[in-house]
Amino acid sequence: MTLSEPGHYDYMPWRRRPRITWPNGARIAFWVAPNIEHYELDPPPNARRMPWPRPQPDVLGYSWRDYGNRVGFWRMADIMARHGVRGSVSLNVAVCDHYPEIIERCCVLDWELFSHGTYNTRYFYGMNEDQQRAVIRENRETIKRASGQELDGWLTPAISNDETTQHLLAEEGIKYTLDMLHDDQPTPIRVRSGHLISIPYSLEINDVPLLAMRNTPPERFAAICKAQFDQLYEEGAESGTVMCMPLHPFLIGQPHRIKALDDVLRHVVRHDKVWLATGREIAAWYTEHHLAEAQSWIAAGSP
Amino acid sequence: MKGLPEDYLHYPRRQRGMDHDIYPFRALPAAKPVTWPNGARVALCIAVHMGHFPMDMPLKPFIAPGGMERPYPSYWDYTLRDYGNRIGVYRLMKSLAARSLPATALLSAVLARRYPALMDDLASAQWEISCAGLDMGRLHHSGVPLDEERATVQEAASLLRARFGTAVRGWHSPAHSESSHTLRLVAEAGFSFTTGWANDDMPYVMTTDAGRLICMPLSQDLSDQRMLHQQHLATEDFTNSILTAHETLDREAQETGSGRILVVPVTPWLMGVPHRIRAFNAMLDGIMARGSIWPASMGQIADHWRAQNPG
Repeated sequence: MTLSEPGHYDYMPWRRRPRITWPNGARIAFWVAPNIEHYELDPPPNARRMPWPRPQPDVLGYSWRDYGNRVGFWRMADIMARHGVRGSVSLNVAVCDHYPEIIERCCVLDWELFSHGTYNTRYFYGMNEDQQRAVIRENRETIKRASGQELDGWLTPAISNDETTQHLLAEEGIKYTLDMLHDDQPTPIRVRSGHLISIPYSLEINDVPLLAMRNTPPERFAAICKAQFDQLYEEGAESGTVMCMPLHPFLIGQPHRIKALDDVLRHVVRHDKVWLATGREIAAWYTEHHLAEAQSWIAAGSP
Repeated sequence: MKGLPEDYLHYPRRQRGMDHDIYPFRALPAAKPVTWPNGARVALCIAVHMGHFPMDMPLKPFIAPGGMERPYPSYWDYTLRDYGNRIGVYRLMKSLAARSLPATALLSAVLARRYPALMDDLASAQWEISCAGLDMGRLHHSGVPLDEERATVQEAASLLRARFGTAVRGWHSPAHSESSHTLRLVAEAGFSFTTGWANDDMPYVMTTDAGRLICMPLSQDLSDQRMLHQQHLATEDFTNSILTAHETLDREAQETGSGRILVVPVTPWLMGVPHRIRAFNAMLDGIMARGSIWPASMGQIADHWRAQNPG
């Protein structure tokens, strides 16, 4: 059986929604999600997606990603720290084993770690439920061991989720998922048991699609991110919005691009009604203050 | 319940450091600080991709960027690339000579046989010669039998050394593509540094069964070939990005006290065309105006780095 739609959320028109408020009267929850990844040099094949475009070893692809951990991460983390912006790390959890110095730096900066699977070259496509559960549980244990943190958030590696992945996340105690891009606010997610919400991630404001796929030069990248922020900041006067800025150190951490990140963050932090949050904080606030109201509104037919 | 094979959840190389034995992990802040001659903050290396693209090049397993993208016989693609070796490179030579800047040519070795006059001019210009394989149709990848790949490396090395002697110490795998044997074969052929792995801003040591190689930085993401040809960006998007990279590296050199390296990868059939050469010149002038640069060849930078990173 194939799905014709995800089936995890109800239609919620952008008008008439119950008002969302953020801490301290903020209009917008702004969060940065660095994807800290390891792509394997010699990963196994997956029937639905080959890990590398070139024959393995794909030296160009591998070394480009490797740059992120060797160089880009450190540059990116310094700029974020300079602006007082914490990261919520979309973490290929094997990075805890490969590069503990990176995890250490994240912890010193008080960043959240959530799971982006084990490696970005191990897709969920075709895994049975036991296999998916095994990965989620192992990821939880590894993050706990490496950082002392609980695992609250999830982005399936390469967004390669299968039909029932969201149900399994809820059953395994994950609190928020990023696999869906249907909204600018957190929303309830329908799962067969347990609880799950979605909070906004982005493939619009995301350095991979922008810089590597849509060929955006650095200054234009900064302008696009600022335009996204300005609009959501304005709309947030009516009801709180969320802006996620996903990053990939192998792209944004290059010497010709890091200035663009500096520029965007400077723009964001000079606004006073911004909540510089982590994914976990947004999920917790929404769940505590707004989830029940959203569910009632949906149940009433979004009047 | 059917799922993926059990070994899809096994990770034999999940361990401290890399998932291979070619080089250890090194974070940039942990790299030993280096100094350049005269206390320069940034070493400037102009790396010129001088490829030869045969019109009948194989199209599998992938086409090298800049390769024959239109149906055979693509005079369109062939002659535009060839333009670079006839005209474009001479414009680049003139621009660099006017500013007393050295360059490192990453040369398809067949050019030594095809265009001896060009080789004489490169020698007169005192450009350093790195070997970029035989030509852009002879890519290194895992589908090439070992003996065939060894013969390719040896032939390419011989062609260039017959003209330029033992000064040919650098290797660049065409299209940044390699098999799992390439580095060993390159070390075996007596090369001392390589530029195929675009994973760092600073040099580091690679280990092969045939000895060590220094891996020198060479970006493909920040190159005219990537930005102007593959990504269809404007000339100034490339030149401004180079200037911004220089600004970042220069500031890091000041903050860390360690020299940095700005590699400018340029391609004669792209930056050497009339409508771009003034932007190239302006970019060079912009770099020089910032001051505290050490213009050097890839080999000179490798030597200075190696002298400060023995062992």
